[in-house]
Amino acid sequence: MDNVANLMHGFSVALTTHHILLMMAGVLLGVLVGVLPGLGAPNGVSLLLPLTFSMDPVSAIILLTSLYWGALFGGSTTSILFNIPGEPSSVATTFDGHPMAKQGRATEALSFAFLSAGFGALAGVILITLLSGWVAKFALRFSSPEYFAVYFMTFASFIGLGGSSPLKTVVSMGIGFTLASIGMDSVSGNVRLTYDFDVLLAGVSFLIAVIGLFGIGELLLTMEEGLKFEGVAAKVRIRDVVVTAAKLPRYWLALLRSSLIGIWMGITPGGPTAASFMSYAMAKRSSRNPEKFGKGEPEGVISPEAADHAAGSAAMLPMLALGIPGSATAAVMMGGLMIWGLNPGPTLFTDRPDFVWGLIASMYLGNVVAVVVVLATVPLFASILRIPFSIIGPIIVVICFIGAYTAASKEFDIWLALAFGLVGYVFKKLDYPIAPLVLAMVIGDKAEDAFRQSMIFSQGSLKIFWSNPLVATLMSIGLILLLMPLIGTAVRRLRGRRAIRTV
Amino acid sequence: MITRFWAEIITALATLAFGLVIVNGALEFGIGWDSSGPQPGAFPFYIGALVALASCGTLALTVGRKVAGNVPLDDNFLDGVRAKRVASFLLPLIAFVVLSVTLGMYVATIVYLVFTMRFQGGYGWLQTLATALITAAFFYLALEKFFQIGLLKGPLETLIGL
Repeated sequence: MDNVANLMHGFSVALTTHHILLMMAGVLLGVLVGVLPGLGAPNGVSLLLPLTFSMDPVSAIILLTSLYWGALFGGSTTSILFNIPGEPSSVATTFDGHPMAKQGRATEALSFAFLSAGFGALAGVILITLLSGWVAKFALRFSSPEYFAVYFMTFASFIGLGGSSPLKTVVSMGIGFTLASIGMDSVSGNVRLTYDFDVLLAGVSFLIAVIGLFGIGELLLTMEEGLKFEGVAAKVRIRDVVVTAAKLPRYWLALLRSSLIGIWMGITPGGPTAASFMSYAMAKRSSRNPEKFGKGEPEGVISPEAADHAAGSAAMLPMLALGIPGSATAAVMMGGLMIWGLNPGPTLFTDRPDFVWGLIASMYLGNVVAVVVVLATVPLFASILRIPFSIIGPIIVVICFIGAYTAASKEFDIWLALAFGLVGYVFKKLDYPIAPLVLAMVIGDKAEDAFRQSMIFSQGSLKIFWSNPLVATLMSIGLILLLMPLIGTAVRRLRGRRAIRTV
Repeated sequence: MITRFWAEIITALATLAFGLVIVNGALEFGIGWDSSGPQPGAFPFYIGALVALASCGTLALTVGRKVAGNVPLDDNFLDGVRAKRVASFLLPLIAFVVLSVTLGMYVATIVYLVFTMRFQGGYGWLQTLATALITAAFFYLALEKFFQIGLLKGPLETLIGL
């Protein structure tokens, strides 16, 4: 019952007029960011982060998490109305959401999307409420080898379960790690890998990487596609929302299954995008009439949306309790926590209970605020997309570069953002995953410290990673995840041969 | 035009070079063991080596697929029409960056928006100037006045006393 008492205390922290206003501002900014192509949740958080340096951490995290919820909602809005996913994680929503909108059921699709998204998010937050204290307590027993094992597991699961080529994932991750190690070495105090360039002394900020890779890279890709918005007009009437809400309980099974998929993918670093696709596929497979999918089936909107938001909120659990972000956006927020002088991980629960429980309480409130605000402002945001891209595009460019500069007021960062933009464009076109790069940049130093300290304990023997049952289990899971692609190929080869024979 | 095959190869060669540069840079700081544990260069050295190795793997895999006659590899990475679209967006963007560091970000914003709207988008002067000036003024008020964050300024900004 500790958790409930803590949560109540958290509500007393989060429930102030100031914070509610911040939530509304965050959600509005988030929807804007989610609606605009080229600006996504990780990007929005990166752009806003420098502006929060002077705020107190609780207000700052409330603003940023609300922006995140808003961005997730905004992404679904454009998916449904324009068939353009504002966020990668809302691609699956286009499959059935846009057909519904074209049939004149836009309000229904939007309401289903927002309400099931709210349901998924709440499921994720309830899980955090129940488990985070326990996970943190468990993790207090961790020392460096265990931490390194958990980091190893995180990255192994990207390689094993990421879906893109394992080799490309390794490359992308390795680039992230090396970029993180540029500049001051936190153990020895040496300055590393600057190649005598003064501008590299302070290191490469992950904020610039996110702005370039996600923002400018995405814009270039959007331009190449020759983006055209052909939207469906939508007016959200309260009566329609209520009617749709009354239909929602019929889909309880889809809601529950999708939330569970989302929670699982959020805690393991599969992320919201994978969660929404997986949930859509599961819904289609288990449906009695799968042929309706893709033609405007409500379940095809509910499933990816609930999973997407459940994953988004569940990704906060490993970030808070272990200091390991479950998604690119969570990685950026964790970087923010460290800049504000907080140390994400189990000790945060004992050192800063106000912050942790205030944040968790704000997730409940933020999602409720988000659903209301989003339903009220959809027509407004939909009209933004009617402004031609030749105006919106350049303004987003300006926002990205100004954001890159405000991160540290360094001229060099503007050039760096441009370089990252080009890399992001090429990487996206060639299916190099970008999230692992960002994750590695944020937790690279911590992973390296954990490794070096383990090595000091063991006098350089790798056996320390199998020295007790806990660390051995973690490392073994990591290794199995790492070898997944090889096992997968082997199985496919065997099956492939059999399939050829049977055909 | 560039096919996907060559794009893959060039990118893998670039990441290979990146890995090797890191390996080379890490060697300078020692990759062995001293009194305080692993030396500072050790971790970057192995990561750099891993990047280089994985890049070689991608190279081998791509060439192997090409030899095996994998069709998607012959696809266009970027055809003429698309390349033109990307260039028409990228070149002004680069000009914006260059202007930002020479003339300051406010001037660059105005010039860039005027160029893209008036000469690429074909909007009227009134609309164009209004959008550009309002955007710049918005950033000025929000950042310099509200958040107290200064942007890069050039000679023109100093001239009018911003």
